[in-house]
Amino acid sequence: MKTIVYVCPFVPAEWIAAHGLRPRRLLLDSSKGSSPAGITSGVCPFARAFVNRVSGESEADAVVVTTVCDQMRRAAELIARDSALRAFLMNVPTTWQTAAAQKLYIAEVRRLGGFMVRLGGKAPSAQELAEVMREYDAARSAVRAARGQLSSRQYSEAIAVFNRDGAPPAASLRSGREARGVPLALLGGPLLASQFVIFDFVERAGGYIALDATETGERTMPSPFDRRLLRDNPLVELTNAYFGSIPDAFRRPNSQLYIWLRKEIGKRGVRGIIFQRYLWCDTWHAEVQRIREWAQMPLLDLDVGDEDAEDRTASRIQSFLAMLK
Amino acid sequence: MNDELRRITLEEWDARYIELHRAGMAEPEYGGPLRRHVQDGDRRLLKLRFDNSPAALRLWNFLLTEEDRLHQARAGGKKIVGAMKDLGTVPVMAYSLRQLVAFYPDGAWWIPCVMELSAPVLSIADSLGIDESFCPVRAMLGAFLSGAHFPRPDLLICSVGATCDDFSAIAQRLNGLGYPILWWEIAQRRHPDPGEQAVELPGGFVAPEAQVSFVRSELERVRSVLEELSGTTLDDDALSSGIRRANEVRGLLGELRRVGFTADLCPLPALEMLIAEMLAIHFCSDQDETISVLRELLREVRARVKTRKGVLSEEAARIFWVNPVADLHVMNLLEDCGGRICGTEYLFSHALDEIPEGLSPMEALARMALADPMVGPAADRAARICSDIRAFGAEAVVISRIPGASHCATEGTVIGDLVRSELGIPVMEIEVPPVSDSVQPAIRTRLEAIIETAKELRKRCSAPA
Repeated sequence: MKTIVYVCPFVPAEWIAAHGLRPRRLLLDSSKGSSPAGITSGVCPFARAFVNRVSGESEADAVVVTTVCDQMRRAAELIARDSALRAFLMNVPTTWQTAAAQKLYIAEVRRLGGFMVRLGGKAPSAQELAEVMREYDAARSAVRAARGQLSSRQYSEAIAVFNRDGAPPAASLRSGREARGVPLALLGGPLLASQFVIFDFVERAGGYIALDATETGERTMPSPFDRRLLRDNPLVELTNAYFGSIPDAFRRPNSQLYIWLRKEIGKRGVRGIIFQRYLWCDTWHAEVQRIREWAQMPLLDLDVGDEDAEDRTASRIQSFLAMLK
Repeated sequence: MNDELRRITLEEWDARYIELHRAGMAEPEYGGPLRRHVQDGDRRLLKLRFDNSPAALRLWNFLLTEEDRLHQARAGGKKIVGAMKDLGTVPVMAYSLRQLVAFYPDGAWWIPCVMELSAPVLSIADSLGIDESFCPVRAMLGAFLSGAHFPRPDLLICSVGATCDDFSAIAQRLNGLGYPILWWEIAQRRHPDPGEQAVELPGGFVAPEAQVSFVRSELERVRSVLEELSGTTLDDDALSSGIRRANEVRGLLGELRRVGFTADLCPLPALEMLIAEMLAIHFCSDQDETISVLRELLREVRARVKTRKGVLSEEAARIFWVNPVADLHVMNLLEDCGGRICGTEYLFSHALDEIPEGLSPMEALARMALADPMVGPAADRAARICSDIRAFGAEAVVISRIPGASHCATEGTVIGDLVRSELGIPVMEIEVPPVSDSVQPAIRTRLEAIIETAKELRKRCSAPA
């Protein structure tokens, strides 16, 4: 079975799987590595990690990149130029309040379908797509249900594993651990695998991540499918769940993000925010102060570069929680 | 009166202005000595060198009095549209209605340079969490909040999608501060898939018909809000007239570029050429006057070429310049180092190409918007640059990085690689901050190096085999 890799949450895994291909949303390891996106001033460490990982990827057959950020949009060009993988650049509209934006997203999903057929996939019938969507929905529900049963790190890792494999982790989704301490939200762009240590730092300092609002976490899980729409028009329902429900900083306006945060922060009793962003990521950087003013609660701005030491991060989190306790 | 052509300082302009005035120079109502702009805070003028013609004086005065014109327009009952990011599309629509005047708040990115950081626009941006890791266009945020550089627009329209993240993020920050914005989507231009209907765009790029159709529908939304704001209908006839007027500006600029960049002797300095090109974007808030200013400038340039007069040495290395500079002084510096501009791509070649007139106006505008070099692959932009280098005979390329700009992180490599492989000419990247005084020795050294290399290659090419 051919494998398609990507990192953007707006790429619908169900659509890839329904074409008979394996969707694999990558959890990147490190921003370090050689060209084509070298250590150039201004390159976002996550975009660099993506280009470097994909350029050396030997187990995948194609990569899907999206336009949700300028650096990733341009990364697609570097990958197409320098990698053996076939690259597909999917246009995810920034605006979302118009029917035209939604239609454009659907058109791009269909175009992705054409790409996959050229790659050897088979265009699914509506029934076949609906069946795959049901399977994913059930698996996603199982992952969601594990919140509260797992430590915050385990829960976020379970989401990452689901995104990568399309199935919950093989291990039990119950750890019996009880969350203790100061509830925090972790907000921002995607995490690298090495950054999951943030959860441990928070716990050691007397808190826990009650809300993983990073791109790798629960914020970007598409909403559960509507059963009636799933039966009547699965592609439209797929669009509703992804394009229509995932809140993100890049969207214009990005009011959905604030509405979602307000609701989730309230539900989880969050008392502080750890804001994780990459150096040169303008989209999230520009939100830091706005969120600080809006949330009316302490916020730790963790700007992540290429050479960040874990010790520094741990010590900043420790000080932040000392203030909150 | 000494009419020798040369680049002169502001001090020299003081004396020359008096001479020209005494000789009976006629000026428009916004005319006057350049010195008065320094008194208004435009201190960078003290460090620049200017072309010494009345045509250039008029160009500078036109540029530096835009804020007054916007206030006058409002006082005269016109509504002000702040067009953001698209660099050339929305103003064509707005100027098709006589009740509207449009300008680019983005232009505030030159305030830190022109006022030598004396205006608090950057510190205001800092205070809002938009620090120096963003492109200098963050000055726009400070300009809005201070209210000191342009009147608050009645309507803000911003293109998003395939744009740089800096601008999109800053515009969203502005929106979050209570400034309503109409967002319209410009799709990432792509090459048509197999079997997809293709459309040729102005400037030669190609896009799928479906994308043109999408952008056209987005521009229809823009049309509706402009109609609402003006209280009148923006019909196709009015739009077609607006396109014709925009094309008149573009035609004049096209000719100015062709004549200026291909002449043996450089007839107009880089700085004045840069400012002239900027007029294409929004006509500096007066479309008719833009046409008059450009006509006078073109007359001057043609006369100089005809009489074989120039402002620089005939030996000057012919440089193609990519991206606008945050510090205008660097254009002077290039010439001081022995270079001249022979071709530019200042991020808005789509605002210089003529808009097709044989189509429905909305279709033509959509095609023009999609021809924006920044909404497609950097390789497309590089190909356009190569084509222009061939047309203008440039001998080297300088890519001027904009500090913090998301597109500058990787595009230089793509452009540089293609230019080197297609044309075999030297390419260099420099980064220019809004006030570059502290790094000018380093920039000078690099410019001198590429100019020397270009001249050496010229010698080798012209030497007998």
